[in-house]
Amino acid sequence: MPDRRSFVVVGGGLCGATAVATLREEGFEGRIFLIGGEDVAPYERPPLSKGYLRGEDTLEQILVRPDPWYKEQDVETRFGTLATQLDVNERAVVLAGGERLSFDSLLVATGGRNRQIDAPGTALPGVIDLRDLGDADAIRAAVQGGVRVVCVGMGFIGAEVAASLRTVGCEVTVVEIFETTLFRVLGGDIGRVLESIHSDHGVTMHFNDVVERFEGDGKLERVVTKGGRSIEADVAIVGVGTEPVVELMAGTGLDQAGGIPVDPTLQTAIPGVFAAGDVARHDHPVFGPMRIEHFDNAIKMGAAAARSMLGMAEVFDDPHWFWSDQYDVQIQMAGFAPAWDRMIVRGSLEDRSFCAFLLDAAGVLRSAVSIAWPRDVRRSFELIRRQIHPDQAALADPSVDLRSLVPDEG
Amino acid sequence: MAEFVSVGRSDEIAEGEAKAFDVGGQEIGVSRVDGTLYAFSDICTHRRCNLSMGGEIEGTAITCGCHGSTFDMATGQVLAEPATEPIATFSVRDQDGDLQIEI
Repeated sequence: MPDRRSFVVVGGGLCGATAVATLREEGFEGRIFLIGGEDVAPYERPPLSKGYLRGEDTLEQILVRPDPWYKEQDVETRFGTLATQLDVNERAVVLAGGERLSFDSLLVATGGRNRQIDAPGTALPGVIDLRDLGDADAIRAAVQGGVRVVCVGMGFIGAEVAASLRTVGCEVTVVEIFETTLFRVLGGDIGRVLESIHSDHGVTMHFNDVVERFEGDGKLERVVTKGGRSIEADVAIVGVGTEPVVELMAGTGLDQAGGIPVDPTLQTAIPGVFAAGDVARHDHPVFGPMRIEHFDNAIKMGAAAARSMLGMAEVFDDPHWFWSDQYDVQIQMAGFAPAWDRMIVRGSLEDRSFCAFLLDAAGVLRSAVSIAWPRDVRRSFELIRRQIHPDQAALADPSVDLRSLVPDEG
Repeated sequence: MAEFVSVGRSDEIAEGEAKAFDVGGQEIGVSRVDGTLYAFSDICTHRRCNLSMGGEIEGTAITCGCHGSTFDMATGQVLAEPATEPIATFSVRDQDGDLQIEI
């Protein structure tokens, strides 16, 4: 008998695309709808601040699946179309333009949008924030010939954009609210290692300062800071964080500023309605409720949500992992440690080649961060997931294989 | 016609490790798992990182150190995304300590 079920996935990013692929891989033969707000097949966003921004990658190279794949897999796509309303009682999603899609199961993977900066002049041509392909194209067009760029915010996006635009010959100045680069995520010691790398590449950085206003006559000419600086600029790239796109859940009580709450199997309080990726606030068995904006998480959560939709639910306990490429340096991080008690370094911060282990007050490994030392981040996954108290001397000793610190299961 | 080409010494490949060889311009990774040798294209089909550098081996799976794509070194199949295209695999043999790959 044919499978008459209909599954709707709202969100045309990496998470939604991975979910529909997983549904087919797991043998689902019912109808699948994939709704995406951008008029393009799902693509990977990391290259937008790196290879694509520098003009090295093409759109075809960064697509999650080649364009024809969706038709081949009998996925009914609505790209360039927003889902505007969720009708919980009738179990249907309403799209802009009026189309109404009934669903047996729904996945909301609507992702995030950039936080806006509260300063006059953000509407001036030349003030850009980076989220989608159009933004990356706008930046590429604006920086032709090497111009003066101000990066507002030195989190991962700001740091990667600064590195990419420096690499293509722009003059780059940074205005960052905290005391060093990536301070909020990586803390001062590792943040300052990255600061020194940017400094070596000729980026000028102003810390403990924020933008007061953007000025210019018809287009951006300078960025004025609260600290009294006036920085001449042709382009300003604003990267000050994101917020989840939760409007579809209006009226359900799930349209929360911290993300759509889901249980450890990624189901919302509405049976058969799931959320995953940047928009989801999932209840992590190790770290507690959290919203994660990483590439790898979008893949893993998308796949996990698809299996939950099929009744194959498992607790989502991935330790979370991401990377960042800046110049010729790769940073990797696993786990989650908003605050930590002790940092053990394997390798050397000074030599910019290390894996740092972040432990809580009880000595439990919460996170691992590396520069040019990726293997031990990957090998720490299991230690983090199982909340191990590793021997600290062993962590610091590069000759100890981290896998030997995982006790036998059972 | 395919033939076996000597690329180095088989004892260069430690248990649980992978090493890349340039074979006529092709970068081929060779690993050893439970004593068995595997040969595969060393270039991840996602973003062209070298699998043997920073890659993590678990059983016959190798996970790319860049972005986490995982391949079966025996069959080339993708075991975990973001890669969606398989890698090529090659026959490999140990001839009295001489490491040979079939090209």
